[in-house]
Amino acid sequence: MVFIFGVNFPEATLVKRSLETFYGIGPKVSQGIMARFHIFPYAKVGSLKNQQVLDLTAELSEMKIENDLRRQVQDNIRRLKDMGTYRGRRHAMGLPVRGQRTRTQITTARKLNRIERGGQGRVKM
Amino acid sequence: MSSSRCLRRISQLSLDRAGPSSIAPRCLLTLPQSSTFSTSAARNANPQGKKGSAAPPKRGTRTLNVKKGRKDAGKDAGKKPGPGERKAMRKRIVLSNNNALEVSGLKDLEKENALDGSTEGQMVGIHEDAVDVLRAVEAFKPSQGWSLFRRPATLMRKETTQLAQLLKQVEESEQSTTIRRVLVGEKLNGKSTLLLQGLMMASLREWTVISFPEAQELVNAHTEYAPLPGSNPTQYTQDAYTANLLSQFIKANNKLLLSSPLTTTPSLPHPLPPKPTVKQLADLGVANPEASWPVFTALWTELTQPGRPPILLALDGLSHIMQNSAYMSASTTPIHAHDLTLVRHFIDHLSGAKPLPNGGAVLAATCGSNSPTCEALDFSLQVAEARQGTPDKVPLWNQYKDVDARVMECMKDVEILRIRGLSKDEARVVMEYYAASGMLRARVDDGFVGEKWTLAGMGNIGELEKASVRLRVGAMGYR
Repeated sequence: MVFIFGVNFPEATLVKRSLETFYGIGPKVSQGIMARFHIFPYAKVGSLKNQQVLDLTAELSEMKIENDLRRQVQDNIRRLKDMGTYRGRRHAMGLPVRGQRTRTQITTARKLNRIERGGQGRVKM
Repeated sequence: MSSSRCLRRISQLSLDRAGPSSIAPRCLLTLPQSSTFSTSAARNANPQGKKGSAAPPKRGTRTLNVKKGRKDAGKDAGKKPGPGERKAMRKRIVLSNNNALEVSGLKDLEKENALDGSTEGQMVGIHEDAVDVLRAVEAFKPSQGWSLFRRPATLMRKETTQLAQLLKQVEESEQSTTIRRVLVGEKLNGKSTLLLQGLMMASLREWTVISFPEAQELVNAHTEYAPLPGSNPTQYTQDAYTANLLSQFIKANNKLLLSSPLTTTPSLPHPLPPKPTVKQLADLGVANPEASWPVFTALWTELTQPGRPPILLALDGLSHIMQNSAYMSASTTPIHAHDLTLVRHFIDHLSGAKPLPNGGAVLAATCGSNSPTCEALDFSLQVAEARQGTPDKVPLWNQYKDVDARVMECMKDVEILRIRGLSKDEARVVMEYYAASGMLRARVDDGFVGEKWTLAGMGNIGELEKASVRLRVGAMGYR
């Protein structure tokens, strides 16, 4: 098991996959981080050198990811709601925000548009 | 009644004879079921008991079970292949077929006749030592038809003799000569096999051979990489690949070279044993992959000292190293393949920027089936061919197209060795070999050879093999 940014990963996990488990890191960001530390795309967590693991953790701790990012997104939505804007109300109601029709096809909006956007915490692998 | 049941009845009969003797022994079917070792007959006799106990399914339960995969979900689906097992199977090289006949009169290529052209137009066997070397440098490819014949043999075609002449020229010249050639030709025309023949001849002549069997593996970002400290512009080393290359080097090169002592004193991050040999130097790189690049450079310096044998550098799949690699630099821009140290090393020797001090050859084969488009390379090869054939009609680059200047620069005075189809005589020799191996059951005469030669696109050897040997074998379900 390798400890990256407070989370244990099995040695056989791809570095890319383990990075992308963090909220706020997707394919592009993980590619950038791995390129910065010269980790090749198919590297497994177990093959990282100690220094690389420390570097990764240091890099992640400087980024706005996980709960910080969630809080930021939720604050933005809450601000809209507190001001009483249309967008804020639509978020609160779980309806499309940007003028889409609501007669059909609003499952994505129902799923995502809410005040507590981004869930409560880390999704376990 | 099945015969097994008959036998069982008879055996019961012999047991029961001690009991009620009044029943006629002829009436086999009406014998009472008394104590035997097996109870299955008694149980099978009353299949109704089971049926009565089964109640109809309750309402709401699913009775129609048609979903796929449900049956096997709980069960173990057999042994799963271990990590790397499937790849090993895919890359497996089979060099002999016990069902094929031994070809009488097949002579091995020896050190003495390797380069003299006396075997032109004949099939020659590959000597066991050479097979070991070629296996070590991964010169045999899984897609080639080695597994069809008793033992590896190859046709010394016209192009092979040309290559042999070039190698001979290196050996015989007074001052060091470096031969640089790109092997080009159509798909399945035998470019990789010619490279293999070059490696075979060089190893028979006790040259040092270093081969990059798949250029794709250098650039597809499947092995680790790291920036080379102190390089400007930044170069990148590939430690795992280099360590593997060193281990192949140890396996492929002759004992004499490996056991010879070092004449230089390299400064390496790890200490060498006292009075080190070339093998110990290479071993150091294998054991410590992080030091493999310094070890490789030290090894190269050692190999290029005066008195060392000529070197053959070979690479298959040239166009892969003529573009951006899949590696990323720290600023997330793709790294050009020429910025990888191993590729740089090869390209420097292919372009002639660095000559081989003891002479030698640098061979690169293009690939017909697995090659990314590289317009600059294609154009450079066209130019090179035109220079050799019609020097007054050298094509010009379309000024409105982007050009990979690094590729143009490194390919600007390289020569090519074009591989064309076999002649009919060569095709006949190959097909006689197929027939003598028992893999081709037909009379090899002019008409038959001409037909297959034409079907194979005017003697394309891969197609010829497909048309005459593989097709039949495939139809029999052998593969």
